[in-house]
Amino acid sequence: MYSIIVVPPPTPEDEHRPAQIRLAPGERLTFGRAPGNDLPIPHDGVSRGAGELTAQGAFWILSNLSAQATYVVENPEGAGEHIKVGPGRLDAPVPFEFSRIVLPAAGDLLTIEVWAPRHDYLREGAGPDGDTTAPAFSVDRTKRYFAVLAALCEPRLRGDPHAPLPTVDQVVDRLRPVWPAASRTSVQWNIDYLAVKLRLKPGPDTADPGPRLNGKKESLVSLALRFDLVCEDDLVVLAGPSARAAR
Amino acid sequence: MTEPYAVSVPKGYRVGVWEVREPIATGAFGSVYAARRAGEGELPRTAALKFLPTGTGTPRQLAHLRDLVEREVELHRRLTRPRLVRMYETLVVDDPQRPDLDGATVLVLEKAEGSLSARLAASPRPGDGPALLTHICEGLAQLHRAGWVHGDLKPANVLLMQDGSARLADFNMAAELEGTHAYTPAFSTPDYTPPELLWSEIGERGRRIRPSADVWAFGVLAHLVLTDSFPLPGGTPSARRDAAVAYARGTDELRLSPELPDAWREIVRCALARTHADRIGTEALLRRVEAAAGSGCSPRIPRARRPRVVLGTVAATVAVAALGYGVSTWTGHGGGTDHSALASYGASELRTDKGVPVVYRKLIVDSAHICPRPDVTPALIAAMLKAGSNFNPDLSDPGKQEFGIARWTPRVLRWWMRDDGIPAPATPTPPLSPSVSIKSMGRYLCFIDPHLKAGLPGDKRVLVAAAYQTSYGKVNDTGGVPPEYSDYSARVAHWLKEYTPPGKK
Repeated sequence: MYSIIVVPPPTPEDEHRPAQIRLAPGERLTFGRAPGNDLPIPHDGVSRGAGELTAQGAFWILSNLSAQATYVVENPEGAGEHIKVGPGRLDAPVPFEFSRIVLPAAGDLLTIEVWAPRHDYLREGAGPDGDTTAPAFSVDRTKRYFAVLAALCEPRLRGDPHAPLPTVDQVVDRLRPVWPAASRTSVQWNIDYLAVKLRLKPGPDTADPGPRLNGKKESLVSLALRFDLVCEDDLVVLAGPSARAAR
Repeated sequence: MTEPYAVSVPKGYRVGVWEVREPIATGAFGSVYAARRAGEGELPRTAALKFLPTGTGTPRQLAHLRDLVEREVELHRRLTRPRLVRMYETLVVDDPQRPDLDGATVLVLEKAEGSLSARLAASPRPGDGPALLTHICEGLAQLHRAGWVHGDLKPANVLLMQDGSARLADFNMAAELEGTHAYTPAFSTPDYTPPELLWSEIGERGRRIRPSADVWAFGVLAHLVLTDSFPLPGGTPSARRDAAVAYARGTDELRLSPELPDAWREIVRCALARTHADRIGTEALLRRVEAAAGSGCSPRIPRARRPRVVLGTVAATVAVAALGYGVSTWTGHGGGTDHSALASYGASELRTDKGVPVVYRKLIVDSAHICPRPDVTPALIAAMLKAGSNFNPDLSDPGKQEFGIARWTPRVLRWWMRDDGIPAPATPTPPLSPSVSIKSMGRYLCFIDPHLKAGLPGDKRVLVAAAYQTSYGKVNDTGGVPPEYSDYSARVAHWLKEYTPPGKK
């Protein structure tokens, strides 16, 4: 029932896969230099009690407990969109689905990533009252993860229902016109994020593979198609900027 | 209603013997119109036609819609119960002139006076609320007894009939139980979704729900009908969803409206228990609801007060539930029940004079009862244990990778050993205890049974046993018991006959 995921700054020991901390609504996470924090950040430039973040329903709030430092919360996909949380500011709400808290620390900039995968987005056809039967997940069609999902689903949406899925490299090539900086790593990151966001069952790497789990991409695509998360109309996100302007 | 109609059908349009009249309602997937019978026939004079646009749209949307339609039609075909709206027939529109309607599936349903949601909007806290809730609960019990879960119980899906009674409708989220849970499409109405499903994992087959999801929805609905407010605080569905999550995590308490009559307070509280395992069962819920509705709230349903009986039954249910969920600690030696009671446990389904070891009787009978399907019986499980291991809990066959009383292969067992249906985090290592082995067997057999093709030759139960040894796919492909399992199957058939009490199937 968690709604917020915190990805701490990478440390040398766990460079490959930084730990993720999952917070359910109402749960708090303190961070700072002192070892008593939920998330200790062993850096001399960080306050002993640097701050606290709290999951609040589908979003989260940030308290800056430091005496001097101003924290910046960036939206990595927001083209520079950010908010500033000054020293002493308590419970500042953060509206982004992805965020990066930047802590200034004696010349270094430390980052903590925070994901809020449960944000709600309006779906076409949804009524204004809360009583409609709605899909149990919602996606932001402007986000990169959606473009990645659309690229994965494209072959099957274009006709052949059993078309082989594109490889990560093919997805990178497909997305290049709309996302020039796309790389293998960033596409794979988005695939991993989608698995979290769409709440796929835990992957087969947690125990030996049983009869019912396929690859992550395969599961994502069949889920997305089954529940109409991506339709033919959505493939427009794969078209270049000029085509989209004409929409 | 301001939403555009999902399917617009002109007044006077003819489908089969029906002539379309005024629109009644629309949802995300289809639209409902009133209709009257224009031709001769035995069907009633009026009906409600539900148009589902299966003829239009893209192939993808079609597959998805068809799945929803099939669920609904399948349920109607197989279940006719007094508290479920009846379906008279299904039709397909054949009208190339109207591409938006051509190919649409039409369900011809019993015509209702209106829905509970319209009724609540017009007159909150209706005087006959307790009676309506009894009808709704009866409908749920009828569904659950038949092995189905509704999956989307809310006021809009409760229809009120001319005689003032209520019936359940809208079964496109309904699903048949496979073992202890069912799979429904991952759609929901947040206010009526139990917290454990709010942000639950979703597999490719949809999300796993149990009858307890309907029980939660009933608790919400009862509170709404009786007090005109939701049980969880908040002005918007998402605020109430957060409150539900906080409540389920134990960080907040349930604070029910003071307007809720005392008799109903406990009912709502039991239905809204934090976890699915703590939630009251449907049958016990129904008995309490009947008692509460009968205790003076509604003069329309005269029923005897019987508080003592009700308390007794609830206590018994709790005891059974405790035994059911204490699988891992249950040792097979009785758990407080004396030996003679165990020796005749489930005697009506499993003979007591044929040498089924007494220590396993309760496990065998209870494991079969996990599964609502008629083929999975205590006698079948006992016959399979006899044929497979001769009830030897220490069996070890490393060559075939089979261990324990039920000859489980550990890496397969992993998928069935948990009662919540989630695979265990790791493959178990032998020895495998009888309690885990036999319970898991009940769940796995219940999964196999609906996957066997219809019309295979021979006793279905023996086929299930053979599929347990190989796989249901192998049995389906072979078109019966594969030759290499014929000895085993013959032994199962023999013991099945021995263990089944006379007069039973």
